[in-house]
Amino acid sequence: MKNKVLKRIVLFPIIAYALLLILLPLVYILFLSFCQNDSYGGMIYHFTLSNYLSIFDITYIGILLKSSLIGLVTTFLCICISYPFALVLRERSKNVQNLMTKLIMIPFLTNSLIRTYGWIVLLRKNGVINSALIGTGLIHEPLGLMYNNLGIIIGMTYTLLPFMMLPVCSATFKIDNNLIEAAKDLGAKPLSIFKNIIIPETLPGVFNGSLMVFMPAIGYFFISDILGGGKAMIIGNLIKNQFLTARNWPFGAAISMFLLIITFLLIYIYRKLGGKLDDLGGM
Amino acid sequence: MKKILIILCFLLFITGCTSNKHYNGVVNVLNWSSYIPDEVISSFEKEYNIKVNYGTYSSNEELLAKVTSSKEGTYDVVFPSDYMVELMIEKGIIQPLDKTKLSNYHNINPIFLNQEYDKNNNYSLPFLSTIVVIAYNKDNIKDNIEGYNDLLNEKYKNNIVVLDDQRIVIGLSLMALGYDMNETDINKLQEAENWLKNLKNNTKAYDSDSPKTFFITDEVDLGIMWSAEAILAQEKNNNIEIVYPKEGHAISMDNYTILKGTKNKDNAYLFIDYLMRDDVSQKIIDEYPYISPNKNISNSIDLNDIFNNGYYVKNIGESIKNYDKLWANIK
Repeated sequence: MKNKVLKRIVLFPIIAYALLLILLPLVYILFLSFCQNDSYGGMIYHFTLSNYLSIFDITYIGILLKSSLIGLVTTFLCICISYPFALVLRERSKNVQNLMTKLIMIPFLTNSLIRTYGWIVLLRKNGVINSALIGTGLIHEPLGLMYNNLGIIIGMTYTLLPFMMLPVCSATFKIDNNLIEAAKDLGAKPLSIFKNIIIPETLPGVFNGSLMVFMPAIGYFFISDILGGGKAMIIGNLIKNQFLTARNWPFGAAISMFLLIITFLLIYIYRKLGGKLDDLGGM
Repeated sequence: MKKILIILCFLLFITGCTSNKHYNGVVNVLNWSSYIPDEVISSFEKEYNIKVNYGTYSSNEELLAKVTSSKEGTYDVVFPSDYMVELMIEKGIIQPLDKTKLSNYHNINPIFLNQEYDKNNNYSLPFLSTIVVIAYNKDNIKDNIEGYNDLLNEKYKNNIVVLDDQRIVIGLSLMALGYDMNETDINKLQEAENWLKNLKNNTKAYDSDSPKTFFITDEVDLGIMWSAEAILAQEKNNNIEIVYPKEGHAISMDNYTILKGTKNKDNAYLFIDYLMRDDVSQKIIDEYPYISPNKNISNSIDLNDIFNNGYYVKNIGESIKNYDKLWANIK
């Protein structure tokens, strides 16, 4: 009994935090997305669906597609890096696993904006990478590593990697060794172990990671601004512009809600395909 | 016992943090980021014994959002640009200025007064100004650069840094085509879109925060940027040439205004009057080379150049949506 009370007391700040700082702003954004705007950037509290309808303009659909492409490439690269890493790490001792996952986390305690600026020093025309390559005579003209889509993808993949790494690692570490032993005893070849045990067991982790990489990848406007030279507009820039330059908060709110709907849709599809929600929380 | 000691220490620590020097009053200021050196603020606090609560914003829209979403009287002095002054007057956010309370009013060069956004300066007085210029590195660019259309030369592929500001950049493309900077006609905007797509072929990056860095690190040889940034780039590299585009340039003027409902009106006037002083204006310009309206200070830019062929961004009402879409199409 006492335990229960204590639990509630401990949980209260977390629930209050979630309600106050996550749910409440979300409800406000939802409310805004149905309002009209006046040209002064003010709100007219008059119900309209036009904000949602204007998302389906060819211009904005184009931005959505371009962002999605950047998001997909980023997600794919994150999987390509995280998956082999997790599989190799699985074979190591608990201490090595702990150490390696901590080593991945530590750089990410630094502000991501500062780390993104750090990349400029590496990638720019006479930056570290280009100077080294020219110095060794491998290339003669500096490579265009940033201020283009390549720069955006490098920045996104680097920044979002831990969001893929952690769920994939925890899913891989959780695979029961007995299962693999049994498969081996029954004569399964490594490829078929991989196909029939490892992939199905880690799929929820990969899906979770993909969701956590893909959604920010279409929203992190500062990376496209800094490493892409502001030349590619992704959904994040579009939303930011509605709030800061176009003075059209309701439209910005509608795009934000639209992204939320896409997230829910992806989770829904995942469940339809037989995934369990519990596995998604498996951090 | 130990616990009590710890609590006592903690309480002492807290009171240590909150107990402050006693000031005679406060003034709540909201200004652009990197605009007034910290030293200028602290000298004011010392001299007048008035605490300055200093906040910053990075766009006029952010300023508007901050002011309208907080209680009246939260801020006293704000520094909106030209078109935002007009909008704030229309919305009734700022109050008329009483120039008799400003002993340094006569320091303002009259050429900066009576601008179109506040005809008789009833509500605002100029603080600092800047214009958009073309800058290029003479070392690497041997051609004659006179205006925006010269930047479309295919030779300059990936060699230009352009302000990341939708109103200014669309405005200058309209000027390049011979139209008004604030044109709203759909067909002309379509032409501007094509012009900007051509410029994008030559653009390395859009950046408003620090375009000078692109020059300093040799990333580009040409740029469309604020005059202050161009001057800073010039200080690092003498070979950088500044051009006033022949088709016209954008001016931006930031202004002293006092918000309605201020509770520190006298301090607000004191603060504005202090910033208008010659020595203070000089200190600000030394750190950030914007154009000062103070007539006792020599500017690095000829004042006739500023106003003769300069145009302000104006409020264009609902057409802002077309501008926004155009900008999205280019990017």
